[in-house]
Amino acid sequence: MAPLYIVLVVVVFIWSGIFGYMLHLDRQIRSLRENQKKIAQAGVKLK
Amino acid sequence: MILFFQITLYIWMTLVILAAFLWAPLAGGLGEYTRIFYFHVPVAWLAVLSFLISAVYSLRYIRSRQIKTDLVAEAANRLGLIFAFLATVSGSIWAKVSWGAFWNWDPRETSIFILLLIYAAYFALRSALDQPERKAMLSSVYSILAFVTVPFFVFIIPRIYASLHPDPLINPQGKIHLEVRMLITFISSLAGFTALYFWILVRNINLIELKLNLRKTEK
Repeated sequence: MAPLYIVLVVVVFIWSGIFGYMLHLDRQIRSLRENQKKIAQAGVKLK
Repeated sequence: MILFFQITLYIWMTLVILAAFLWAPLAGGLGEYTRIFYFHVPVAWLAVLSFLISAVYSLRYIRSRQIKTDLVAEAANRLGLIFAFLATVSGSIWAKVSWGAFWNWDPRETSIFILLLIYAAYFALRSALDQPERKAMLSSVYSILAFVTVPFFVFIIPRIYASLHPDPLINPQGKIHLEVRMLITFISSLAGFTALYFWILVRNINLIELKLNLRKTEK
């Protein structure tokens, strides 16, 4: 394989690792915020 | 403000990638593989930074006994492990094309491998303990002890034993031998990756705060 392709593989690998983790983090935050909103709405209804 | 930071970082990292591929000259003997240096070294640096942050937060937990500081230490260790893994894999791809094999048990490869095992054991320890206070205390002590080994494995051992790994940036004479364009690209990449790291760490802290708030409201 040509050297430049190998370099590209390494760079894409590093960036996909970082972005993959960031996406996972964002998904978790979004789901927790939704849960928080649901709990708050349930609390308002109970009152 | 956050949006401004995100856009700036996005432009910055795009410029770093362009500079690494189009502007920075190639090092003699390494050819195109020189470009890996602008990504592999910052990622390895982030692993060390992350382990340091984890040790600091572990120390803070021992002093304050606030569960949030322990959770931040855990997040920093997780990030450290991810970056150490990215550095190991990117390094071993480079090793394959440069030295002929993915893994050669070179001093630097061996030391990062031991470091990965040490920090993987941190998560094994956490998952083995149920009681939150005991878990936090033991893993904080472990995290501090684990960090004591980091300078030995990252900076000392690879410099003591003969290695196939290219010279570290700051060589044994304490000088940096890099062409100006290479140095600018490298420092820009290091700064960009460090900013990106703190962004991810802040997102992790947001997540921890949300989890703690939810726990409170559930009670």
